[in-house]
Amino acid sequence: MIELVDLTKKFKQMYAVKNLNMFIERGEIVGLLGPNGAGKSTAISMLSSLVEPTSGDVRFENNSILKKPAPFRKVVGMVPQNIALYTDLTAEENLLFFGRIYRLHGKELERKVDEVLEQIGLTDRRKDVVKKFSGGMQRRLNIGVAMLHDPEVLIMDEPTVGIDPQSRNYILETVKRLNEDRNMTVLYTSHYMEEVEFLCDRIYIMDKGNLIASGTKDEIKQILSSEKTISITMERLNDEFVEVLKQNPQVNRVTTGEKEVTILVPRDANVFSEIIRLAESTGIELNSVDNKTPTLEDVFLHLTGRALRD
Amino acid sequence: MIWHIIKKQGLLFWRNKQQLILLIALPIILIAILGAALGSGFDNESSPIKMKVAFIEQVEEQDQIEQFLTDLQEQVPSGVVDEIKSNIDMMAPITNIKAVLESEEVKEFLEITYMDPSEKSVIVDDESYTAIVEVPEGFSYDVLESMVFNNVISPTLLITYNEEQQVGTSIVSSFFTQFQEQLTLGTFLGEKGIDLSAIDYQEVNGEVISINEQKPVSASAYYTIGMTVMNVLFLAGAVGYYAYYEKEINVFNRIIMANISRWVYFSGVLASGTIFAFIQSLIIFGFSWLVYGIRFPDILDFLVVTVAYSFAIGGLAVLLSALNYRLNSETITNFFMNIIATLLAVLGGSFYPIGDFSSLFQTLGNMTPNGAGLTAYLTLLRGEGIAGISDNLMYLVIFALMTVVVAALCFPKRGVSA
Repeated sequence: MIELVDLTKKFKQMYAVKNLNMFIERGEIVGLLGPNGAGKSTAISMLSSLVEPTSGDVRFENNSILKKPAPFRKVVGMVPQNIALYTDLTAEENLLFFGRIYRLHGKELERKVDEVLEQIGLTDRRKDVVKKFSGGMQRRLNIGVAMLHDPEVLIMDEPTVGIDPQSRNYILETVKRLNEDRNMTVLYTSHYMEEVEFLCDRIYIMDKGNLIASGTKDEIKQILSSEKTISITMERLNDEFVEVLKQNPQVNRVTTGEKEVTILVPRDANVFSEIIRLAESTGIELNSVDNKTPTLEDVFLHLTGRALRD
Repeated sequence: MIWHIIKKQGLLFWRNKQQLILLIALPIILIAILGAALGSGFDNESSPIKMKVAFIEQVEEQDQIEQFLTDLQEQVPSGVVDEIKSNIDMMAPITNIKAVLESEEVKEFLEITYMDPSEKSVIVDDESYTAIVEVPEGFSYDVLESMVFNNVISPTLLITYNEEQQVGTSIVSSFFTQFQEQLTLGTFLGEKGIDLSAIDYQEVNGEVISINEQKPVSASAYYTIGMTVMNVLFLAGAVGYYAYYEKEINVFNRIIMANISRWVYFSGVLASGTIFAFIQSLIIFGFSWLVYGIRFPDILDFLVVTVAYSFAIGGLAVLLSALNYRLNSETITNFFMNIIATLLAVLGGSFYPIGDFSSLFQTLGNMTPNGAGLTAYLTLLRGEGIAGISDNLMYLVIFALMTVVVAALCFPKRGVSA
């Protein structure tokens, strides 16, 4: 349905996106994963025909949308990362204005506004100005505006940034429902692994403008078939402990949290006794040592040596 | 679609009370302060300039007329004498000057004091007088004689000016020069053998009064116009700011993604700027009409100027929006609001009448949109019609079209992401 072919965007000497190749089939939810600055937003801006690529092409139904963007724009709904709403207008006024720019009129427009408000759970707040909404409600309305014209494709650029868990779940469930009930095709960008794991059938992982992995969730996790992840929690993180872990020949990668260290080691390595020994020698009191099922986060760590939120 | 962009812009203005206060209440407050501080109060009937003129006759005109008629009987047939006698009131120069000086229109700005020749030395030392007009001995006799016999004698009024009152001096000088020209015209007609009784006195009077028709403008009226044209400039900045805000929050991208042509959006900004500038002007002028009684002689002419000026503001709003988009920054709008608008206001005469400065300054002032608008409004208020402001109107329309063309060249071709 949609194809990105060798898509490249260069700003002066820096590649924001380099030779990106992707495809999206009708009715699937595809995740585009990567840390901040990976090039996701630039990629979807080119995909949406808003930014001209330096080279490459974007095709919709085998036609270049760079040459003729109108047919694609007609069937796509865009959810930008920012709250692209008039915060001094009410939810209803926003939907009426954006409905009008999508050429909806009269009763049809009113019906669509009612339907979208119902879908995003804001019917009771339709007369309130948007600036009085919580971050989660604003995010929901941001999505609602993109759904007004019944798009076949929904492009969502980090739609859950900075909101509470409850609103986040609501949005994820809404996206899932739209895909299941209406066979809506969704391109979902995020740097939250768990969201992409929950929603997406296939995943593309970007870092520093490059595509570093792609496939189904299981295919991507297979990248870690030769390694396993061990999570070590403690009362207080100790730099000396982290350093001795890094120097251990069996440990491939080390990342640190507030009271947690995650290490990647070969699948057949038995490192528990070694970890306890190192903890004792550096004066660390361990709380737990867990052998974890690999996650996409672990895959990203394996591929880049960095955590997604670094 | 353009209508929905305008409606949305209206709602945004309406909901932003702080901005509404800045755009509507601020100019009204400034009008009150500047009118009171710099003008002669808010009496609409009063003129900002009131000149005192002393008028001294060396010899009574009636004595000279009687002498002239007596001498005339010896030189021309009695029929001609009778005809001149019947028209003598219209021919008597001092009587005519006094009639004009005592008319209501002239009294608004000229205070005439009739003095005895012996008082001249006292008046010369009195700096409150703008000028002393002296009618020399035999003036009326000579004028009548030159009219009837085509004499080359050119009788002249003696006028002494107070050089410290330059503006007033200029007005008085212009007033009496015009009167002198009327006398010369009368002499010329006489030379050509045109029947003096055929001279339409009203026509002559009308010519003399032509300087009076430039009605003086009160301080409150001046500053109503000055503050309105200045504050409407800020509306262009406000519309430009909103357009940039729409880019910043990706609303512009939503509009582009909806397959709305950027030209439609562009036209929406132009129309919003024009319409809201028009409404803002009407509100401020309406307030000044209700509170200070400032009204334009012809409402249609007033509306034509307001539409032309609002169109120029619409053009300015589009240009600011396009530059913001092009430079990907609201610096241009901020610079315009904080520096350029104030500079334009000073140059355009919003704070002080530019007519009092050099002609170069006046030309520069009229080359600003607000200066052209101010001049057009003032000219209307002084009683002239559309013909008298055609240059200003033309300039405003050309300015608007030029800003639209430049803006069109600057406007981004696609969206504005990344």
